[in-house]
Amino acid sequence: MLSLFIHITNKKGKNMKPIKILLIAILTGVLVFGISSCSKKTEGPVKVGVVLPLTGSKANFGEMEKNSYELALKKINADRKAKGQNPIEFVYEDDTGKPDVGRAAAEKLINVNKVKMLAGGYSSSVTFAAAAVAQQYRVPFLVNTGSVDKITQPEDFNLTTNDGDKFYIYRLNPPVSEYASGLEGLLATKVKPKSVFIIHENTAFGTKGAKAFQKSADKLGIKVLGVESYSGGTVDFKPLLSNAKKVKPDMMYMISYVMDAAMLMKQSREIGLMPKLFVGAGAGYTMPAFKENAGVASRNVVSATLWHQSLPIEGAKDYFDNYIKTYGGDGPDYHGAEAYSAAMVVDNVLARCKDNYDAETIKKALDATDMMTPFGPVKFTAYGKKIHQNRMQTYVVQWIDGALKLVWPEDLANAKFVFPIDWKKVWAD
Amino acid sequence: MDMFLQTLVSGLLIGGLYAIIGIGMTLIMGVLGIINLAHGQILMVAMYITWILWQSFGIDPYLGMFITVPIVFYFGQFLAKYLLHPLIEKDSILPENQVLMTVGIGMVLVELARSIFSSDYRSVQTGYTDVVWHLGKISLSMPIVIDFFLAMLLTLGLFWLLMRTDLGRAIRATAQDKEAATLMGISAKKITILTFGLGSALTAAAGSLFLPIYYLYPDVGPLFTLKAFVITILGGLGSTVGAIAGGLVLGIAETFGATYFSMGYRDAVGLVIFLVVLIFFPGGLKRFTKV
Repeated sequence: MLSLFIHITNKKGKNMKPIKILLIAILTGVLVFGISSCSKKTEGPVKVGVVLPLTGSKANFGEMEKNSYELALKKINADRKAKGQNPIEFVYEDDTGKPDVGRAAAEKLINVNKVKMLAGGYSSSVTFAAAAVAQQYRVPFLVNTGSVDKITQPEDFNLTTNDGDKFYIYRLNPPVSEYASGLEGLLATKVKPKSVFIIHENTAFGTKGAKAFQKSADKLGIKVLGVESYSGGTVDFKPLLSNAKKVKPDMMYMISYVMDAAMLMKQSREIGLMPKLFVGAGAGYTMPAFKENAGVASRNVVSATLWHQSLPIEGAKDYFDNYIKTYGGDGPDYHGAEAYSAAMVVDNVLARCKDNYDAETIKKALDATDMMTPFGPVKFTAYGKKIHQNRMQTYVVQWIDGALKLVWPEDLANAKFVFPIDWKKVWAD
Repeated sequence: MDMFLQTLVSGLLIGGLYAIIGIGMTLIMGVLGIINLAHGQILMVAMYITWILWQSFGIDPYLGMFITVPIVFYFGQFLAKYLLHPLIEKDSILPENQVLMTVGIGMVLVELARSIFSSDYRSVQTGYTDVVWHLGKISLSMPIVIDFFLAMLLTLGLFWLLMRTDLGRAIRATAQDKEAATLMGISAKKITILTFGLGSALTAAAGSLFLPIYYLYPDVGPLFTLKAFVITILGGLGSTVGAIAGGLVLGIAETFGATYFSMGYRDAVGLVIFLVVLIFFPGGLKRFTKV
């Protein structure tokens, strides 16, 4: 574009010399100023862009994550002040849960707000769109929730796994294909279901999650009786649930955001769909809003999860209690812990940049990350098709007596797994 | 066969609810000649009012409806009088700008709701929320059945108003020919404002009816605006009977699509019907009726 512009001015340059000189002067000025502003040590707060759904149907998740970022920031900036480092400023941009808006949000953060790096990323498709922008502008992006596998697969960005130095995306949370890894153990040893019916939202997260669980089912010898999708915000799930009821599955596996999750469970109870076990794939099923809105129907529902406040991880319980103290309510689930820990990683990475915040330095610092957070250990590694991916264990939780309890793995559990379940009794009153 | 019946009944019940949302928009379309894109947002406001009544005063959503509907009726009139009508009065302002005004109203309502209630999801839990009736092998959720009958009652009431009262005749006359109606001594301004209030009130009723079976958050509106829009076009712009038929068709089509095709394509099924109707019956379902 620029060369074309210069070419045009060159062509007409014969009788437009003063303009040409002026243009060159401006261009040089911009370049010199640009370079000098890059190498100059940054004064004032270091800006970090955070892309989250703050409005729209996923705003509930976005709010929890933003609260967690703010909670972490208070602590971080107090520490930084004591150490004489520059404070950090999180610049939030709303992606409204839509990929095109997420793309624009990332572009605005990079070009207008001039952030040094990006963090956040809630829903998979939005995060992938924002990641493409970050990659294009070569701005490091620490993803904390967007979970579709391709986000950390360089081949989806026209790179190979050897191009680590050209790949600017890093991910704190495990990919969706690994969400159910903890669950596999529970199913194999305790539940031993023979068949499963899978229901998923027709988004990137839902579709890939369903595919991944089909693979797990094959491995465990569970017969998949049906896979059905729905679009978020449905009023009446009964047609879909009746289809499931007809084939009498041993277990239901559902991938949904929070209110669809609540509606699915309420209506399962209505039509008397009673498999041995209802299993959610994280996302909606671990949120406090799920219990509030599903009411009786939330009882004894099991879900895969990435985190629980009772895990023996340093800081996990403190974060959970602090969150309740600051914002009230039932406390955060794994989404909040991801955001809180992402803020800690950002702080840690920037501290290691030693006041030199260009993209390559930040990227090198991210590569060298090896730290402990309330979400678990964070270290970006390469395996399979992925690079810059933090590997971690997943867990299983169950709603028992109105609280989300950790039931698997057994050595970490803080409650006994309730099974078998007599739904008629559990769902009464 | 059981499956078929269950699907048909579910579709009819949900269609009855869709219809009442569609009628509100159709009325406004008929008289003001614009699509009210804040329709779903007004429904959201009504849901919040009903929810507050339930949460703070313990008033059952169905009883709360009798408080919510009048409030929203006056609220709609207020919007029409001070925000929409000034634009209608000026000939130099294109009707498109009135539509843009409704978009703006919608945005303000959503953000107001968010600043007051935050983005949390709310729902009401009443004694009957989870009650299920079994009729043979068909299961019916009690609140949806109540909703359907209340929606039908409201629709009949509206018909009586439109067909049998002077006010109704004035509304119909204004919808047919504004200038002629003015010459006959009808105040077009009054009728415009009143119709907007009436359309909002119907949506408000739908909001109160939806609360026990659905949930509530500030961005719930656009979902219903889209449904109302499809129904209004399906029914033939401005036709009340057409809108009822449109609502039922949409409800049944969505449910059948979900049962026998895939629920993932729920919106696609509705929109395909929409296209088919536009291609083969360009006037919408209105051509089958005389009202």
